Amino acid sequence: MESPLNFFFDPILRAPTLGSMLMCLTASLVGVIVFLRKRSLLGESLSHASYPGVILGVVIAGYIGLSDQNEAVLSLLVLIGGFFSALLGLYSINFLENNLKIKADSALCVILSTFFGVGITLASFVQFNYTNLYRQVQSYLYGQAATMTDINVIIYGILTIFVIVTILLFLKEIQVLTFDRIFSKTIGIPIVVIDMIFFILIVLAVIIGIRSVGVVLMSAMFIAPASAARQYTNSFSKMFIIAGFFGLLCGFLGNYLSVEISQYLAHIYPNERVSIPTGPLIVLIASLVCFWSLLFAPRQGLLFRIVRIAKFKLQTLEENVLKTLWRRGEPLTLKDIQAYQNGNIFTMWWILNLLQKRKFIAKSSHTYYLTDIGKIVAAKIVRLHRLWEVYLANYLEIGVEKVHKSAEEMEHVLTPELEKELTAFLQDPVLDPHHQPIPAK
Amino acid sequence: MSALQVSQLSVNYEKTPVLWDINFAIPQGKLVGIIGPNGAGKSTLMKAVIGLITPISGKVDFFTKSLKQMRNSIAYVPQRESVDWDFPVTILDLVVMGSYGSLPLFKRPGKQEYLKAENYLKKVGLFELKDRQISQLSGGQQQRAFIARALMQDAQIYFLDEPFAGIDHSSEKIIIDILKKLTKENKTIFVVHHDLNTVESYYEWVILLNMRLIGCGETKEVFTNKNLQSAYGKNFSLFDDAIKLSKKISTGLD
Repeated sequence: MESPLNFFFDPILRAPTLGSMLMCLTASLVGVIVFLRKRSLLGESLSHASYPGVILGVVIAGYIGLSDQNEAVLSLLVLIGGFFSALLGLYSINFLENNLKIKADSALCVILSTFFGVGITLASFVQFNYTNLYRQVQSYLYGQAATMTDINVIIYGILTIFVIVTILLFLKEIQVLTFDRIFSKTIGIPIVVIDMIFFILIVLAVIIGIRSVGVVLMSAMFIAPASAARQYTNSFSKMFIIAGFFGLLCGFLGNYLSVEISQYLAHIYPNERVSIPTGPLIVLIASLVCFWSLLFAPRQGLLFRIVRIAKFKLQTLEENVLKTLWRRGEPLTLKDIQAYQNGNIFTMWWILNLLQKRKFIAKSSHTYYLTDIGKIVAAKIVRLHRLWEVYLANYLEIGVEKVHKSAEEMEHVLTPELEKELTAFLQDPVLDPHHQPIPAK
Repeated sequence: MSALQVSQLSVNYEKTPVLWDINFAIPQGKLVGIIGPNGAGKSTLMKAVIGLITPISGKVDFFTKSLKQMRNSIAYVPQRESVDWDFPVTILDLVVMGSYGSLPLFKRPGKQEYLKAENYLKKVGLFELKDRQISQLSGGQQQRAFIARALMQDAQIYFLDEPFAGIDHSSEKIIIDILKKLTKENKTIFVVHHDLNTVESYYEWVILLNMRLIGCGETKEVFTNKNLQSAYGKNFSLFDDAIKLSKKISTGLD
């Protein structure tokens, strides 16, 4: 068992760990913009479009006789190749969209497959002509974090700092342009410049990222941390911070778990050579973070939404029971009350107990009746119901026979503010469309 | 000196003309309604004037200066549907965006901008909601937030594209009151407007359009039956009948 801290200092472990973390950080930050611009496919296409350039970099390295020991020059050649190839891909996408009027999704797909195809063809050229460099080619396809060195980390570190500084400097412009493009044009935001910066940031994130997770899985790192972060905040700048944190976490855990699980497996199956690759593991962890957030985030997560829906259903049942007692105007038994509701006898008994606890109703022998507070609460519900009926019937001209069903729902939904607005708008009516009195406020 | 002078403005979409040879001048401090049937080019006129669309010909002057020189004195409120309401910004953030045009590059809005934005939120009655995400507002409240953002721009001339479309009565009243108050401070305001019933009570001036200019001037002179007939054509006669009928019924005459 390695200590987690060791991953930052151990001479073999630190480069992959730091490299992956830098990569994930950059991709997550740029990913926030990609996600909010709703251009997820662009990340996917550009990462594939970088592949032929990466391989071309390797080919040039082979041509000038470099071996895979010359890590620094090789990395630079690959980065530069990938950068220009992705830019060419981007230019081609824009050309297809704007000049040939091809739909965005088609243009993205055409470029993705064309560029990737060229890349694969070039890769087989490397396999036969510069066999000693073929491992490099492979590592950019699915990523190979484990072979990263300190030189990679330094290059990625510089690029990451550049990306962060750029985002910080243009944060206000990026925000307003992503939110309201037309408005930003009217206040003189240099749209073309900001768009160009956005594209260059994506390309940089791609070329940093493909060494860790590869061109095939790269786009997941744009989208997963950003969509997870969106679940926790409604603030633009905080979204960057949270997404960046998730990115760092995924980068670290990907490395940590890949080493730990591999060692564990080697321990149980001493005769097999099993190792868990880092890149795919990073992507899996990012997907888990995203999935977890979609389910369990406090405000927008699915779980809490289900809880809130259940609470609302309970409130509806409670209010309906109060309404029944108010309408009948006499003490009722459990059976009587249940006859008006669509819950079973046990639920009704439970709800009656809850209402008793809140002192809205009281019990004498076998019957339940409204307390004074209960009467006020019930009258208020009936009032909302009937106000809404008046509004539907008189102002939206919905037939009198149809308004009851909608009001049945709205009486539980209308807020005090809306009630005030309705009252003023309808000039405080006294009768509903069925000629029933509306209780005063 | 006119607040806005438009001469020989023509706009095409692809090859179909949308606006044809528009000429008018509007004095400072007026609340101006831009009126016309669907597809008359009301929004297009507004967009062409503030440079969102490039016209094929024509000249636009604000206080005899060009758009470029006057950019910071012009505020535009787009149609509500044009933005992504799920975007992660609060109402306060949205209003602060109004200051971005006058802040230099690299400079972030500070305390001063936020205080100013809060002040404008009070004016439009949204101060209590300032920390909510923008999708949690009703349509009318969203429109009021947009108005607060425009106020934040401290402009001389305001352009509002259908601010009253699909919003509640109280929001409409708050907005029109604010606009009327602005004209008292000598601001000039243009509003693309649909509801012919309210034109006379809202606007001092109207621009009546149907691809070409039908009329431009004080409401009581331009907003006439004859002009409306020529703007709305046959469609209008039905509308006119309905309005007359509704007036008769609502005043109890038979």
